[in-house]
Amino acid sequence: MKKIIYLLVTLSLLLVACSAPAQSSTEFDINNWDSVLAAAKGQTVNWYIWGGSDSINAFVDNFYGKALKEKYGITLNRVPLADTVDAVNQVLSEKQAGKDPGAVDMIWINGENFFTLKQANLLYPDWAQKIPNAKLVNWDNPAINLDFGNPVDNLESPWSSAQFQFIYDSARMIAAKLPRSYADLKTWACANPGRFTYIAPGPGGFLGTRFVKGALYELSGGADQWQKFDQATWDNYSPQLWDYLNQLKPCLWRKGETYPKDEAELKNLFANNEVDFSMTNDITGAGTGITAGLLPQTARAFVFNQYMIGDFNYVAIPLNAPNKAAALVLANLLLDPEFQAAQILPENGFGLGYAIDVTRVTESSALSALQTASTKLGDSATPASDLAKSLVGDSAAEYQNLIEQGWAKNVLQGK
Amino acid sequence: MRDRFIFSPWLALAPALILITILLGASLVYGVAQSLGLISVIGANTVSLDSYRNLVTGTGLAGSEFWGSLAFSLWVSIASTLISSVLALLVAVWLSEQRSGNGDTLALNWNLAFPHLVWSIALLLFLSQSGLLARWAASLGLISTPADFPVLLRDRFGIGIILHYVSKEIPFLALIILAVLRTQSTGYDLVAENLGASHWQRLRYVTLPLVMPALLSGSLLVFAFIFSSYEVPALLGVGYPRMLPVLALRFFNDPDLRSRADGMAISLIITVIVLVVAMISLKKSEQK
Amino acid sequence: MNKFSTYVTRFVLYFILAAPLALFIVYAFSTRWFFPQPFPAEWTTAIFTRTINDPRILSGLRDSLIIALIVSLLSLLLGFPAARALGLRQFRGRQLAWLVLFLPTVVPPLAIGMGLNILFLQIGLAGSLVGVVIAHLIPTLPYVIFTLSGAFARYDENFEFQSLVLGASQTRTFFTVTLPLIAPSLVVAALFSFLISWSQYLLTLLIGSGRIITLPILLFSAASGGNPVTIAAISLIFLAPPVLVIAATARQLSDGEVREQY
Repeated sequence: MKKIIYLLVTLSLLLVACSAPAQSSTEFDINNWDSVLAAAKGQTVNWYIWGGSDSINAFVDNFYGKALKEKYGITLNRVPLADTVDAVNQVLSEKQAGKDPGAVDMIWINGENFFTLKQANLLYPDWAQKIPNAKLVNWDNPAINLDFGNPVDNLESPWSSAQFQFIYDSARMIAAKLPRSYADLKTWACANPGRFTYIAPGPGGFLGTRFVKGALYELSGGADQWQKFDQATWDNYSPQLWDYLNQLKPCLWRKGETYPKDEAELKNLFANNEVDFSMTNDITGAGTGITAGLLPQTARAFVFNQYMIGDFNYVAIPLNAPNKAAALVLANLLLDPEFQAAQILPENGFGLGYAIDVTRVTESSALSALQTASTKLGDSATPASDLAKSLVGDSAAEYQNLIEQGWAKNVLQGK
Repeated sequence: MRDRFIFSPWLALAPALILITILLGASLVYGVAQSLGLISVIGANTVSLDSYRNLVTGTGLAGSEFWGSLAFSLWVSIASTLISSVLALLVAVWLSEQRSGNGDTLALNWNLAFPHLVWSIALLLFLSQSGLLARWAASLGLISTPADFPVLLRDRFGIGIILHYVSKEIPFLALIILAVLRTQSTGYDLVAENLGASHWQRLRYVTLPLVMPALLSGSLLVFAFIFSSYEVPALLGVGYPRMLPVLALRFFNDPDLRSRADGMAISLIITVIVLVVAMISLKKSEQK
Repeated sequence: MNKFSTYVTRFVLYFILAAPLALFIVYAFSTRWFFPQPFPAEWTTAIFTRTINDPRILSGLRDSLIIALIVSLLSLLLGFPAARALGLRQFRGRQLAWLVLFLPTVVPPLAIGMGLNILFLQIGLAGSLVGVVIAHLIPTLPYVIFTLSGAFARYDENFEFQSLVLGASQTRTFFTVTLPLIAPSLVVAALFSFLISWSQYLLTLLIGSGRIITLPILLFSAASGGNPVTIAAISLIFLAPPVLVIAATARQLSDGEVREQY
C-alpha cells in the first residue's frame, strides 16, 4: 500500500514539475532579445490590419505568416479591418470593460488613430527602439519620429512608406495631357464631365481624405502651416476648400451625388472605363493592381507637381495585448532587410516602400537585395524623383475629423 | 389521457416564450436606456432626451439627415411593397390558372435559397453601369461608355433598392397568394364564370377579396422588413440620402460613444413605426 | 392560356434562378475582365483557388455552418413543444402567446442587435459563439413554430392514442408515430431555421463584435468595394450549402400538404 502511495506522489510531483515551466515562459525582458524569442515561441499574434486589399492580405499571410511559423514557432492571426479605427474602438471598449488581456496584439496604425491611443495611454511603452532591427531605422528623421506631427515616443515601429499618387490609363490618355495641380484638375474635369471622381473622405476612405488635404494645401499655398493644429487657419481656409470641391462637384462622375467609398471601388470604376483616374498609396504605383488583375496592363501612376502627401506607417502594441512577445518578434521581422526588399516588389502584392534606411544595412546580400528591388518597380510606378519632388507630410491629427465631417456636411449634403 | 404528452400548454410553451421574452425585453430595455443617454461604458448616467430632440429638430450630425432619411425610407418601402404586391397577385393568378403543378412553386421556393445579400451582389454585377448587361449593350453597339447606361443601382432615388426588393418579394408574396388560391378559389371562380363574369371581373370581385387578408398581412410584413433592413440599402444605396437603418448603424458605430444614443434612438423610432404598421395589419385582418 | 405561355413562365422562373449562379461562375474564374468586353478574355482558377483556401474564408465557412446547425437543432427543440401546444390545444392566452412568439418577425434585428449588444458585453457573451447562437434563435424560432404549428393544426392525435392503446411506450410512440407523421414539416422548419441563421449578417455583426466572423460578414465586406472576381468566388462558396440543403429537401418543399402552410 505504501509503495502505491509513494508512486502516486512521485508521479504527481513529476507532472507538476513538467507543467510548471510552461507557465512562466510568457515573461520576457525586452533588453534580452533571447528571452523575447523564448516567450514568443508557441504564441499567436493577433494582428489587426486594414483588410481592403486582397494582395496585401496574401502578402502578409505568405511572407510574414510563414516565416513566423517556420522560424519562430509563432502563429499569425491576421484580423482584417474595414478601417483602423475599428481596432482603436476595440481597445478603447476593452479598457472601459476592464478587459486585460484583450484581443488585440498589434495594429497597423498611424496618424490620428495613433494619436487617440497615445493620448489615452493605451499603448505598450518603450519598445520600438529596443528591438534589434531598430538600428536599421533612421530614428533621427522627423518623418519617422513624428507621426502626423506627433512624437512617436518609442510607442510604434515603422513598417513601410507610402505616397499619394494618381493612376491613369496610358491607352486612353497621354502623359503630356495629364493635370499636374488641383487647379488643372478642375479645368480638366469640367472639360471632361463625368470622367473624374474621388473617394469619399471617411472611415476606410483615407485616400479620399488625403486627396482633399492636398487640395487644402494647394489652396492655402503650403503644407507646413498644417503640421500643427490651429483653429484660425482652419476657419480661414476651409470655406475655400468646400468652395473648390463644390465647384468641382457638377463636373464629377454621377454629378458628384455619390462617391466611391474606398480605393477598391474607385479602381473598379477606373478599370471599367467609367472614370479616367484612380488613386493609390503604393510606391509601386499601378504595379500591384496590374499583377492582381484589377487594372489594365496599360495603367500608370503619376503625381501632381506638388502636395502629394506621403508618410511612414507603423505598427503599435496595445497595453493590454495578450501576446506581447510575439508582437515584438513580428515588429522586428517587418524591418528585416530581406522582407523590406520583398515588400516593395510589385509581383509580391504589397507595393509599399521601405521603412529602413538602406545606408544602414551592412550585410552585403541584404544590401544588394534592397538595392536591386528598388530598381524593379517597373513602368507602372511613378519615377522616384517625381515622388520626392512632390512629397509633403500629412497634417496634424486633429484635422482628420474636421475634414471628414466637414466634407460630409458641406460637400456631400451641400446644395 | 389526452394531455399525456404535455401537462399544460404553458409548460410546453415555456422554453420558447421565456427565451424570446427575455431577449426581446432586455434588448428593448437596454435600447431605450441607451437612447436616453444612459451609457454606462462612458459613465454617463443622466437621462436626457437630447438624442430624440436633436433628431426631431434636425440639429447635429444625426439630426441633419434624419427627416431626409425617414422620407427616403418611407418612399422605398412603400413603393417596393406596392409594386411587389400587385405583381405578385398577377403572377399568382396566372400560375394558378396554369394548373402547372409543383414545378413552378419549386422554382419560387428556390428563390428562398438566395439570401438578400447574394441577390444584391448579383444585381450589382449584372446591372451596374459597367456590369454585364452594360457590357453586352456596348458590344451590340447600343452604348459606347458606361455613362450611357442608365443608373439603376447606387442611385439617388433608391431605384436599385426597389428593384432588389421587388424581385425578391414577388416570389414570397406569390407563394402566399397561391396557397390561398389553391385551397379555396376554384369553386367560387367556377361559379362566377358560369354566371358570365369576365376575367377581370372575376379577378376583382372573387379572387381579390379572397386573397386580400393573406396578401395584406404578407404585404405589411414585407413593408416592415424592407423598412428595417440594413444590408441591401448599405450595398445598393448611396451616401446620401440613406435609409434609416443605415443611418442608425453609422451612428451606433461612431467612435464617439455619445453618438450611440443617436443611433439607438433612430433604431427605436424604426421599431415603433414598424410595430404600428404591424398592429394596423393585425386589426385589419381581424376585421375581415 | 396555352402550353406556350406555360413554358415561357417556367423558363423565366428558372432563368431567374440559374442566372445569378451562372453570373458568379463566370466572374469567379475570370481575370482582367473589364467593360466593354462581353465575355472574359482571360480565365484563371488561381483567384478562386486562393479564395477557397484562404484561412479566413475557411474559418468563416466553418463558423457559419456550426452556428446554423446548432441554431437549427435548438430551434427545433424549443419550437416543437411550443408548436404542438399552439397547434393542438385551445386555451386561454393562446392569442397572447402567438403574439409574443410572433414579435421577432416584426421587431427589427437592428434594434434587437443594438439593444442586446451592451447586455451581452456585460455578461460576457459578446464576441462568443454562444452569444451569436442565442441571438440567431430570435429570428428562427417564430418561423419554426409557425411551420410546425400548422402541421399540428391538421394533426390527428388518434394515431398516438392507438399506438399507446396497443401497448407502445410514450417514447416509442413519439419516435415511431409522431415524428414520422410531421416529418415533412420538421424538414421544412429545419430548412427555414438553417437558411435564416446562415444568412444573418447584422445580428452576427452586432453580437459577434468583430470576433465571430461568418461568411455573410466576409461577403458583405468584399462586396462593399472590391474585386468582382473575389466577390463572385465568395458568393459561390456562400451559396453552396443552402443550395445543397434545398436540393436535398426539395421533395418536402413541393409536397402539397406542406405548401399550404404558408
